[in-house]
Amino acid sequence: MRGATILKANEDKTRQLNKHTLMAYVGEAGDTIQFAEYIQANIQLYSMRNSTDLTPSETSSFVRTELARSLRSRSPYTVNLLLGGFDPRTSKPELYWIDYLASCAPVPYAAHGYAQYYCLSILDKHHHPDISLEQGMKILRMCTDELKRRLPIDFKGVVVKVVDGEGIREVEYEDGGQVLAP
Amino acid sequence: MASGYDRALSVFSPDGHVFQVEYALEAVKRGTCAVGVKGSDIVVLGCEKRSAMKLQDTRITPSKISLVDTHVCLAFAGLNADARILVDKARIEAQSHRLTVEDPVTVEYITKHIAGVQQRYTQSGGVRPFGISTLVVGFDPGTKVPRLYQTEPSGIYSAWKANAIGRSSKTVREFLERNHKDDLSRPDTIELAIKSLLEVVQTGAKNIEIAIMAPGKEVEMLAGEEIEKIVEKINSDKDAEANTRRAGRGGGGTAQGGEQVLASRPAGEGGAE
Amino acid sequence: MDALVAQYSQPSHSAQDTTLDDSLALSSKIAPPLSLNFELPPIDSHSAWLRAMTDDHSNPQCPIKIAHGTTTLAFRFKGGIIVATDSRATAGNWIASQTVKKVIEINSCLLGTMAGGAADCQYWLAYLGMMCRLHELRHKRRISVAAASKILANLVYSYKGMGLSMGTMCAGVTPTEGPALYYVDNDGTRLAGNMFCVGSGQTFAYGVLDAEYKYEMEEDEALELGKRSILAATHRDAFSGGFINLYHVKEEGWVKHGFMDTNPIFWKTKLEKGEFSNVTSKLE
Repeated sequence: MRGATILKANEDKTRQLNKHTLMAYVGEAGDTIQFAEYIQANIQLYSMRNSTDLTPSETSSFVRTELARSLRSRSPYTVNLLLGGFDPRTSKPELYWIDYLASCAPVPYAAHGYAQYYCLSILDKHHHPDISLEQGMKILRMCTDELKRRLPIDFKGVVVKVVDGEGIREVEYEDGGQVLAP
Repeated sequence: MASGYDRALSVFSPDGHVFQVEYALEAVKRGTCAVGVKGSDIVVLGCEKRSAMKLQDTRITPSKISLVDTHVCLAFAGLNADARILVDKARIEAQSHRLTVEDPVTVEYITKHIAGVQQRYTQSGGVRPFGISTLVVGFDPGTKVPRLYQTEPSGIYSAWKANAIGRSSKTVREFLERNHKDDLSRPDTIELAIKSLLEVVQTGAKNIEIAIMAPGKEVEMLAGEEIEKIVEKINSDKDAEANTRRAGRGGGGTAQGGEQVLASRPAGEGGAE
Repeated sequence: MDALVAQYSQPSHSAQDTTLDDSLALSSKIAPPLSLNFELPPIDSHSAWLRAMTDDHSNPQCPIKIAHGTTTLAFRFKGGIIVATDSRATAGNWIASQTVKKVIEINSCLLGTMAGGAADCQYWLAYLGMMCRLHELRHKRRISVAAASKILANLVYSYKGMGLSMGTMCAGVTPTEGPALYYVDNDGTRLAGNMFCVGSGQTFAYGVLDAEYKYEMEEDEALELGKRSILAATHRDAFSGGFINLYHVKEEGWVKHGFMDTNPIFWKTKLEKGEFSNVTSKLE
């Protein structure tokens, strides 16, 4: 979005870092993609150099360090991130919440921006560590519906990606139509 | 005498040689052999592995074949330690290219870059040339045409259908010249690579390493047992051929038989150059 | 002679200072910097200073008036890409020119459009043209639109916050990508897409374009739609006007479809099609 006009509704705001780590970004125009692609290139370079992938927790640590370095430079990146990954060694999914001030926290579910105010309470209530993909998608639907219902800003479409042991894949996510506040 | 001309890199000898670069080429000739063979739709890299010491852990000793990007592979001959530096520069360039142009590198582009780095080290002060030649193979993004390039310490690069570098590379190259055909099938390409390496590797399968690249696929390192199987096949074929030849010679045509022996086993058995 | 040789063949560590510099100089020559280096004014905050000097909106007395208002559009359809612009350059409330070429022909297959600071766009798109030609010479094949737009995006990103003002589109057809369209602006955003309108008249152009745009349009329909969208913007946006500059990018390269005065087109559209009914053509 630029000024008051939507330029593109289906922009993919994620970058795949390696086989099983995905990073979603929001923030200052320009900064976001520059930072995400810089991280992507370095994580891929690591895989090439060492013929092994960084685990999600190692990746989160690298990303956080880079943000911390940038924060103390003349022109910091204003980028907020969610880092999702599957650790093939422990066979466990991991999620990291990272903001432009270089805070990094492992969390079971996360959101950035205004979405936090609407979605976190839903997630607090309905999320359990051992839910299936199907249940997870159901909770996601509750979140997007709530955003449609209550967020004054209308958002255009979501991109949904699933990270698991097999890697990363985009899944179909139907719009679901209008949701009105009762 | 070459008084001093061979010491500082950036000084020509009066007859136009840069001795350090030529010495680097000597280092290449002492390195273990590497071959690259293009087939109709795959390209194969083969390497001679130095025989391991008894206590060496071969499983995790670095390989002479390294991946530059998912679609480009590189083998070298010469100084191992120099190669690590060069490979790393190539990997960084490959990622940097993806970042700035949004396309993976073409094989020619990365070869040119590698050769460019090697050239720079023949013309700068206080540095020493890379003591390695490389074979760069792979597929340009979105194409099915196999590529094979060679670079040298001087910074020359060239394209090949099949080539060898390192120890006894001349013998191997001559072997390839005689046996390489256009449109080799996948098994034939792999077999030719191994066969050509057997010209210089006496110890057989356990000292051979094979990497196969196919369009749109990740590099495939051939398992030890697979190589073993192919080596056995090559040997049994050779025995069978020798038997028929012997039988043929019994039949009387001696002169012809003699020629055949020459044709299949030329130029001294993998002797050092 | 021996003395001469000795001078050059001293051990490397004793000659380190000079050699390090040499190799640095050499490497910088081989890899050119991302962009040319400019002398910058001795000011703490370039953007704040520039805003103080140029912001016509908050300070009509500002000493520098930058040429700004524009309507440009480009969209992809089955027959390639249509690129259309107006031709007015304004500096504040003053119409500086009515005959500006806002489509920049980077090469025979690549077009760029100009919105924002006229000087910034002209200069950096010319620079982009140079980089594209160099890419062609170095790599022996034409640059992809993705790469060309990224050169520009990285460039403007490196000047972020220093007052560059440009909203540009790169449109081109290459064998590997087919028809490709990218939007690049001065805060470093770079988007691939099917349709973009940029400039002060963008909303008016979007209005016409969105309603009638279909990817499966025929060539003449697409050209007409591009023309009509710019006309809509020139009619409603005070900072857009002059001539309609119309291009069609195809596989073989771009084709120019005229530099047309808006005035007769407007009256023709009104009188023959009955559009613009809020404008009266009678005097009573």
